[in-house]
Amino acid sequence: MKKPLLYAGVFCIMVSGLFSYTSAQAQSDPTGKKPITDTYAITNATVFTSPGQAGVKATVLIKDGLIQGVGSNLTLPKETKTIAGDSLFIYPGFIAGASDVGITRPKDPDRPDDFVSSNPPDEIAGITPWRSAVDQFSIKDSKVDDLRKVGFTVAQITPDGGMIAGKTAIILLGSENSTNLLKENTALAANFRGSRGMYPGTAVGVMAKFREVYDNTKLTSERSQKYSTVAGLKRPEITPTYSAMQEVTSGQIPVMFTTSSELEIRRAINLQKEKGFKLVLTGLEEYEGVLDVIKASGAAVLVKLEIPDDKAIKAMKDDASEEVKALNARVKKAYDDAIAQASKLEEAGIPFAFSTVGVKSGDIMKALQKMIENSLSEEAALAALTTNPASILGLSKVAGSIEKGKMANLILSTDSLFAEDSQIKHVVVDGIIFDYETKPKKKASTGGNSDGSVKIDGNWEYTSESPAGSGTGVLAIQKDGTSYTGTITYDDPSGSGKATAPISNVVLDGSSLSFSFTVTANGMEILVNVTGEVSEGSYDATMSVGEFGSFPFNGTLTPTLIANK
Amino acid sequence: MKKVNYFLAALLGLSIQFASAQVKKGSVLIKNATVLTVTEGTLENSDVLVQDGIIKKVGHNLNAPNGVTTIDATGKYLMPGIIDAHSHLGLDVVNEATSPIVAEVRMKDVVNPYEVGIYRALAGGVTISHAMHGSANVIGGQNATLKHRWGSTDPADIIMQEAPRTIKFALGENPTRVHGRGNGIQPRTRMGVEAILRNGFNEAIQYKKAWTEYNAASSQKGSTAMAPVHNERLQILSDILDGKIIIHCHSYRADEIYMLINVARDFGITKLVFQHTNEGFKVAPEIAEYTMGASVFADWWAYKFEVYYSTAYNAAILTENGAITSINSDDAELIRHLYHEAAKTQRYGGMTDEQALSMITINPAKQLGIADKVGSIEEGKQGDLVIFEGHPLSSYAVPQMTFVDGVKYFDIKEDADDQRMKVSPTEMVEPVMVYGGHDSRCMQDTEHLFETTESLFLLNQ
Repeated sequence: MKKPLLYAGVFCIMVSGLFSYTSAQAQSDPTGKKPITDTYAITNATVFTSPGQAGVKATVLIKDGLIQGVGSNLTLPKETKTIAGDSLFIYPGFIAGASDVGITRPKDPDRPDDFVSSNPPDEIAGITPWRSAVDQFSIKDSKVDDLRKVGFTVAQITPDGGMIAGKTAIILLGSENSTNLLKENTALAANFRGSRGMYPGTAVGVMAKFREVYDNTKLTSERSQKYSTVAGLKRPEITPTYSAMQEVTSGQIPVMFTTSSELEIRRAINLQKEKGFKLVLTGLEEYEGVLDVIKASGAAVLVKLEIPDDKAIKAMKDDASEEVKALNARVKKAYDDAIAQASKLEEAGIPFAFSTVGVKSGDIMKALQKMIENSLSEEAALAALTTNPASILGLSKVAGSIEKGKMANLILSTDSLFAEDSQIKHVVVDGIIFDYETKPKKKASTGGNSDGSVKIDGNWEYTSESPAGSGTGVLAIQKDGTSYTGTITYDDPSGSGKATAPISNVVLDGSSLSFSFTVTANGMEILVNVTGEVSEGSYDATMSVGEFGSFPFNGTLTPTLIANK
Repeated sequence: MKKVNYFLAALLGLSIQFASAQVKKGSVLIKNATVLTVTEGTLENSDVLVQDGIIKKVGHNLNAPNGVTTIDATGKYLMPGIIDAHSHLGLDVVNEATSPIVAEVRMKDVVNPYEVGIYRALAGGVTISHAMHGSANVIGGQNATLKHRWGSTDPADIIMQEAPRTIKFALGENPTRVHGRGNGIQPRTRMGVEAILRNGFNEAIQYKKAWTEYNAASSQKGSTAMAPVHNERLQILSDILDGKIIIHCHSYRADEIYMLINVARDFGITKLVFQHTNEGFKVAPEIAEYTMGASVFADWWAYKFEVYYSTAYNAAILTENGAITSINSDDAELIRHLYHEAAKTQRYGGMTDEQALSMITINPAKQLGIADKVGSIEEGKQGDLVIFEGHPLSSYAVPQMTFVDGVKYFDIKEDADDQRMKVSPTEMVEPVMVYGGHDSRCMQDTEHLFETTESLFLLNQ
């Protein structure tokens, strides 16, 4: 199952030079990609060495993938390539406590001929503790760069799978020519998802099965122990499941349970209390009500780096009835509480980090800014991205802050990191510098592509859902000076085929696009308002149809054949 | 002594966890009510004092101790909290439908104290419900007995920790449909159901024997005994055989009811309650003699083939034959007016007030093994009480206040429009699940198992 190649650097933190970019290349480099030096200095930048530290003007010297020095009077070796950092802000590179970056779910094995759904083989039932995230990971996956682009340099990758998916590993988001492996077998990834159509099929079955696997692992260890010392005993049955679970029952590695809700958090903690394993809670989305329970359990906490969508909030109308307004107020409060949760963790003194499993990298900075807007301190936010995960993952000696001797994992931004207009210009991972394009600052405007706002002109194919069924059509938007016009086709409600209507009130504000059109049905005119967010050619919106309610409306921009310059 | 059986350790661990749960206890004096004690007659113009969750005194002219609220119930009726012996309220998962025996699963693992149905049940005077595993398996999971302490966020706080263990069994069409027709494994017929039961118990006997032998051997000096494989499923079946768990069995037909009685007698099981039991009236004397009775619907039937032979006189016939009989809901709506369901036994069968009220109070309490703690208004019992406007068996009855452990959880005068404890931040209106027909929640989470069956039906049409 395991790649022998990986054994080379497993079980201990590697000397980073061993796998660094330059050493991995031969002396002669036919690709021409080999950098002329691996010694860099970012001079005279504003450096934030760790959370809570004020920025100081300093130069950071990097060599062999390590930070060689931070200060103002450094002697730079001759081969140093300098980057003028005068306008740059340097932060320690982010660490994801858990991530699915670069992970591809392995194919489900074929069901055997004698398959019985009430007693399936472990591998088919999602019980695969022997699997390693390393085997499912590819550094070449485009998502790796997406995550690095927002500042992440190290991640604990979690395998995809069933209730006991396998072992996690810690990797660098570094060179394509390196294994990037820091530590293998760091935790056992588990969740409450049942297997479809077989035992265990639900959360209640998963909990029972987890107990059984755990208890029998312990018994198997005892039997093996006895078997190795006493002669004349029956051979104990050793399975891949029991072998791979032993690191958990012996307390060597924690179980990392995905627990999104309060009830799931309690369930994982109950199992922990019952069995006594080390616990990491990950993927937390709703947890404000159980902070004391989490604290008492001593479990490490990885919050999902995402904020709830605000579709329901945006769909609220001022002219709603009193009853609806009262209901709206509760949803609004639930939303406000949800986005302020991270600050409650800080208040409760629970050091937490983040999970990016299931999170779009492009939304991460916005989510962080929203959390900070809602009372999470910048210091705690930065700690959750650097020192806290380093400590949870056992990396404090090598990562998490900017210090001499630590890995050269850095973020170079154009402004204070969490500022709204701040952009990340370079990310340094393992001493390798990745450059990212920065755009000129956004200006407030209603249209145009050149000023950084999104492109909306073109043909959008959309689908909509309503009680009448799914609808499809084409939304055509043309640019007209500084404003937009266009038409929309829709399923004709009073017959078959498509009807066309002009669109009006087209407003593009940043990335949010809204417009209206009128549908004529049985002599009645119904005004339809559509409003939503445009992101990379997709339009995620809600349409409100007269007084009938609000429904989902999703569009995709059809690529134009000729480059639109 | 190092070789402590670690099942025991696990059990001890559990009980420590349960004991640590903090449950609210209240004190209240209810004055001048018509007190329907259920077990000790009707007391006119009487007072009931609850202190720290326990009924301290039932009598006349009682004075409230310092700091205890007095409620004037002149002209109103006071009865013990209603107990529903068959419910699926407050559960995130109902069926682990994937194996004919899933005795190892615990509904206590998936209790959801946020379900608003719990509050609605309180509004119907129900203080305790039996949160059961579904009926997809011959031997289902272990149930949870819930006390409706609405507002608690810790599931452990709404579980009646002192209630004995109970487990779900199911006979007839549901388990044969899921496993036989749905998955092509035993049981496909009622004969298969019996075989599953007998094989399961026989394996449990072997299992217990293996562990007993191992424990005995391993306590000897220099023992080389190897521990058997741990099997929680068989351990639970063994606990049933040892009388530690009460069986609550979903059943309809007289023949299958009689079958289970025989299986139970063969294996020396006496803690057995039948659920639904629509044909119970045909085997009422046997149910009375060999079991802890039947928990039935007042008048609900004909939702599938095995439930056609039914009568609204079922509860009365069972009662007259000496079987402990309760009326249950199995439904989040019906649970709100179980007092009305109980009254139907007066229209169909001429039950007395006391007999009818027993069916939703002391009788279900007996079937859940908690009759020494709840189910009637007696000194020393837990302060679970309901104040009614109008006699609870009258068509005009309206519950006014509901108390659990002396704490008021429902008051019709303080009943706000929106009683939900939790609201989604992303949904304007929470998705509403509409299930068709009966057995909706009993068979929840099993829908996907019927895909094969349904496609076969379509092919044969």
